[in-house]
Order: sequence, then C-alpha cells, then structure tokens
Amino acid sequence: MSERPTAAELAEAILEFLGGEILPTVTDQRLRFRTLVAMNALSIVYRELERLPPDDDTEQRELAGRIRAGDVPIGTLGRVKRDVAGRLQIASPRYLETYDEAGSQ
Amino acid sequence: MIAEMREALQSVLGTALDGEPHLLAGGASKEAWAVDAGGEKLLVRRAAVGVIHKHTLSLADEYGVLEAAHVAGVKVPRPIAYIPDLDGREAFVMERLEGETIGRRIVRMDGVPPDLPTQMADELARIHAIPRARVPFLHEARLERMVEELDEVGEPRPAVELGLWWLRENRPAPREPVVVHGDYRIGNLVVRAGDGLVGVLDWEFAHVDEPVRDLAFSLVRAWRFGVPEKRLGGIGEAEPYVERYNELTGLDVRADEVDYWEVAGNVGWAIGCLTQMQRHLSGRDRSVELAVLGRLGAEVEYEILHLLERKGVT
Repeated sequence: MSERPTAAELAEAILEFLGGEILPTVTDQRLRFRTLVAMNALSIVYRELERLPPDDDTEQRELAGRIRAGDVPIGTLGRVKRDVAGRLQIASPRYLETYDEAGSQ
Repeated sequence: MIAEMREALQSVLGTALDGEPHLLAGGASKEAWAVDAGGEKLLVRRAAVGVIHKHTLSLADEYGVLEAAHVAGVKVPRPIAYIPDLDGREAFVMERLEGETIGRRIVRMDGVPPDLPTQMADELARIHAIPRARVPFLHEARLERMVEELDEVGEPRPAVELGLWWLRENRPAPREPVVVHGDYRIGNLVVRAGDGLVGVLDWEFAHVDEPVRDLAFSLVRAWRFGVPEKRLGGIGEAEPYVERYNELTGLDVRADEVDYWEVAGNVGWAIGCLTQMQRHLSGRDRSVELAVLGRLGAEVEYEILHLLERKGVT
C-alpha cells in the first residue's frame, strides 16, 4: 500500500525542520555538532527511501472508485477496516488501544 | 515591525500601549498578539504572511461575525476595532479573555465545570439565532464540497469513500439553514474553573448550514483529547447537551440525526487531514505538523468505520 506523505517525504520534512528551525537556535557547540550528525544520518535515510520503488496503489484506487460508484457489497467495511488498522500499526499503533474489544467506544 | 505596529495600534485605539505587543504561540494562518492598552487586556488577530485560504473568512468578515455574535449575546471576546492595514496586513482587535483554551488542558482541569455541556448548548443556541441578515456575506455550505476537496488531493481513501457513501444513503430531512460557527468544539472555547464557558473563539469557519451539523461537530472523537469515553469533547455525555439545545431552540433533534452528523464531522476532518497535508506537499506551507496529519488521518478513518459498524454496515 502506498501512502502520502511517503516515508521519504516525512524524512525530508524533518530535515527541513531541523535545519531551518532547530539548528539556528542551537548555540552549544557540542549539541550543534551532534545535530548536524543527526541531520546527516537522516539524509542517508531519506536518500535510501527515495531509491525504493513506489508502492502500487492501484488496488486502493480501484476499491475507492467502486465505493464511490455505490458498489458496496457485504464485507466491504471489514476489508477496509483491516487495511486502515494495518496503516495505523505504522502511523499510530497506540490509537487502536483506545477502542475496547467490544468496540463500544 | 513592532514599532510600526505599536504606532498603528495607538492611533486606532486612541491610547498609549502599556508595554510591547507580544506574539503568542500557535496559529499557522493567523498571528495573535497580546497587547495591553489603557488598562485593558487586548488581543490582536492579524493575517500571517502569504497565507490565502479558500474556505475561511477574511479577517474583515470574521470581525463582522464576531460583532454580530456579540450583539446577539453570545459569549465572545468583545470586538474593539477592525484595522485594514496594520503594518501591511489586515487585523482586528478584541478583548483578551482570561482562561484555558487548550483542549487537552480543559479535559484535565481540576473539576471540569459540571455545567460545561449545557453551557455549550446555550451558546450554540444563541449562535444559531443570529439573524442571517446581520451577516449577509456568509455563504451556504454544501455537503458535496467534501467530495470536491477529497478529489483535489487525489489520494485514494476507501474508508472516507465508505463514509461519504453512507452519508449519501442516509441523509436526514434537511433543516432550515442557520448561521453556524463551523468549528464548534472544546479547543475553540475559553473555559475557567469557576465559571465554565466564558468565550467562543475562532470564527473563521462561520457560514450558513444545517444546525445539527454544527451541534454534532463537538462530538467528533478527534476533539476528545485523550478521553474517548466522553463523547462530548472529552468532558461529558452528548444527551444533556442535545436536550438543552432542543429546549432552547424548540427543535426536536433526534439521536440518529446527531449520529449522522457526527459521521459527517469525522468524514470532514479525515478529508481536512489530507488537505492540510497537501499544504505541505504542494510547498505552500512546509511543516512537519501538516505533513504528519496526512498519516494521522488514518485514526479518523478508523473512527468512521467504527461508527458505520455500529450503524449495521458490514
């Protein structure tokens, strides 16, 4: 599944934040050096992620298109919910714990 | 810049400032400056540089709504002056209310005021009674705009599509449109421990719409600030709030109607997360905060599915 922002786009956003907003405020020489090292490490992550082939989102696009057209067979919700739970395992794993098992909240 | 602002404010207010204007935290699209003048605590709301929003009010219109709300007896910061050009940008001055405005802190206040849910209904009923003729510049919203916004971003979101599908299939009979706040939730209120609700803030999303849509917006799970079991903004139950609203307005809003618009509020915010992400990706407003909302929208999508499941969708 492909999802925006991609991991590379997130790494890029953090790099811009560190370079643009944090670094100019760091006066301690040791911390400044370590921030530059961290940014360098993150830029390695960014370039590595950039080289990965993009995930194929055809299936999600087709599913979204079918639902838009009103084609919603029984079982659609369960399938979509599994996909969203999978994305949450990456984006916000603790969020799922805020729903109790019976699903009443 | 502060010197220019100081000059301009002194001439508008006709009194000397006590101390320097002080820029408050937060707000990507608007600046908020704390200013004291003539013994009064004031807040200057000023456009931020280079931000153009398609679906929010100009500061001139927002000031107009604030004035109309004030006249209608809604608890709002007293509007003081609109300034077309405050050091190059439009702005307005209003009273600076003392109290808590951070949602996460309100739900954790020592003794959340027990009257807060009914007070929220009181203010909303007053807002919905503002005569449309007082604010003729407000536009009427259409539910279909959500679809247009989703399509503008262009990312596939089957959960959001399911929400939109269910909203199309289950739309309740339309109600007479009224003036609505458009972003009525705990995070846009000023709350004090003793008095409860003392002010309604952030009127930039005001428009003309279904009243129940505005009523149910404060139930959206994303605005419960870590207290999900309390459906009304993490501070209380929905029923006393809706009952009080019905009493005051003479409407007969039913629970299933509230549920419907709660789903709509979630669908709207799921799409809002994507449009915020797009502000970053397009280069208009580069920000980690906006970028990460694109991913956190999955939380809102999960809530949409959870709500639909409870309505019997499988």
